[in-house]
Amino acid sequence: MSQSPTDFFTKHEFLIRRLHSLSGLIPVGAYMTVHLLVNSSLLNGPGAFQKNVNQIHSLGSALPLVEWLFIFLPIIFHAVIGIWIIRTGKSNHDNYRYVANWRYTLQRWTGVIAVLFIFFHVFHLHGWFHTDWWLKNVAEPFGMAQFRPYNAASTLAIALQGIVWPVFYFVGIVSCVFHFANGVWTMGITWGLWISPEAQKKASLVCAAGGVFLTVVGLSALFAAMSTDAQAAREIEDKMYEAAVETGELVDNPHKRSEEEIEAETEAEDELDDTTRRALEAAASN
Amino acid sequence: MISPETNDSTEHHPEKVNVRILRQDGPGQPSYWERHQVPYEENMNVISVLQRIAAQSATADGRDVSPVSWDCGCLEEVCGSCTMVINGQVRQSCSALVDRLLEEEPSEIELKPMSKFPVIRDLMVDRSRLFRGLERVKAWVPVDSYYDMGAGPRQARSDQEEAYPLSQCMSCGCCLEACPQYQKVEIYRRPGETDEQFEARKNEAYDEAFLGAAPISQAVLFNSHPTGKNAKDERMEALTGPGGIQACGNAQNCVAVCPKEIPLTKSIGKAGRAATVHSIKKLFDR
Repeated sequence: MSQSPTDFFTKHEFLIRRLHSLSGLIPVGAYMTVHLLVNSSLLNGPGAFQKNVNQIHSLGSALPLVEWLFIFLPIIFHAVIGIWIIRTGKSNHDNYRYVANWRYTLQRWTGVIAVLFIFFHVFHLHGWFHTDWWLKNVAEPFGMAQFRPYNAASTLAIALQGIVWPVFYFVGIVSCVFHFANGVWTMGITWGLWISPEAQKKASLVCAAGGVFLTVVGLSALFAAMSTDAQAAREIEDKMYEAAVETGELVDNPHKRSEEEIEAETEAEDELDDTTRRALEAAASN
Repeated sequence: MISPETNDSTEHHPEKVNVRILRQDGPGQPSYWERHQVPYEENMNVISVLQRIAAQSATADGRDVSPVSWDCGCLEEVCGSCTMVINGQVRQSCSALVDRLLEEEPSEIELKPMSKFPVIRDLMVDRSRLFRGLERVKAWVPVDSYYDMGAGPRQARSDQEEAYPLSQCMSCGCCLEACPQYQKVEIYRRPGETDEQFEARKNEAYDEAFLGAAPISQAVLFNSHPTGKNAKDERMEALTGPGGIQACGNAQNCVAVCPKEIPLTKSIGKAGRAATVHSIKKLFDR
């Protein structure tokens, strides 16, 4: 007798849901924490940020493997099972207005927001795939794959221009952090770490504090990216790039500094030049 | 029972009590709303309102109808059979006092059958899935043997105090009605099907669906009993099987609506911890 997917899920429900619970912390939640902390190093300036990015990219050709194995696939697993879990429930906060019930509903909403956010966020900055065909025919025509790791801060600052993307990142960061903090709390109940109502209360305070901290870290990185001067950052990055290639810390990779990308950047830089010039003129006339 | 002293609420009580009831003529039949009106009496509860409605057998606009069916037993909130959804909240109709309900909503009282169980007729539901859940987790102390086994081991005072609140469960189903992860499973009888065949088909469907808080808490109760412990592994198999503890979404409505104030989320936490230990043991013990 052939097994339908529902049968498979029902039969292995316990294992699947425990793996889903675990994957939310390791590696997805742990990765997000590191990611937000690295981002916030931009507060110390483009050089500090570039150093961290170079550290990550010193993995070289092993990086895509690490990305897919420890970041993308776990996130996809967590998302797919999460959506299946959402479909097994039916929120009822209208009739039962308790805090924990609201959190149950919010956990599901923020989960859906996080799936959409992460999909577009990775497309926007990373591009998902780095083959020539994909970049040329899919990512770049849509204005995606904006981030260039060897010009980290400057490409990020250019990608975050306008109002739409900053709002998108604000909503995304807040949703992801809430989902993570509340998820750690429910995970502790699921695995039997905090059992009594008193212990759960204390744990929820600890999780809330962690959530507030990560929100501050995440949003400060967003703020830092938005207030970075792309041109000044570019000069620092170029110096660091030359030094890094010379010392062998980084391998020259055209995808991380491609011809097309420079062309696109010149355009952006021109715009930026205009604004900078105008700002300088305004400052001078005062 | 000592009748409570007449309080000030009788001073400005209404002449008539309006009741809106969600009726259904039988399993699988469409449901429909019906308005009834009964003269106000002091210290009425929902059961006495339903008694008057049955005696009248006529709607508020004078149309003759069949009497509204409902279920009740003890009339003192210990049997659980009169549970229904009153003004949007699940509770026992015997302990739902009209004066309190009118304080919540002065214009009318709204009565609905529980939404998570198949309706037999009007406000009567079939809670057999809950009792099947108790069978699934072997919510009893196994004492059958060929010879007298003598007295069981003594139970520590502290264990007794932990166990007593759990033993107060009356299987009313409030926790299941309020649970966003517990969905209705309704199996209709096929023409020509015997009682046994219908029962077997129902149990098959129930056995894959979520147990819910009450059976999980009973499994915890009997796992903590000195003799009940003997069947612990079998209970853990049921708790980690299809529809087991993993389906809990930590909305914690169960504990908020439990009329006996049973620490259900503590039981769920304990069951979660036991499930963690049980599954890891199983993983490495084979």
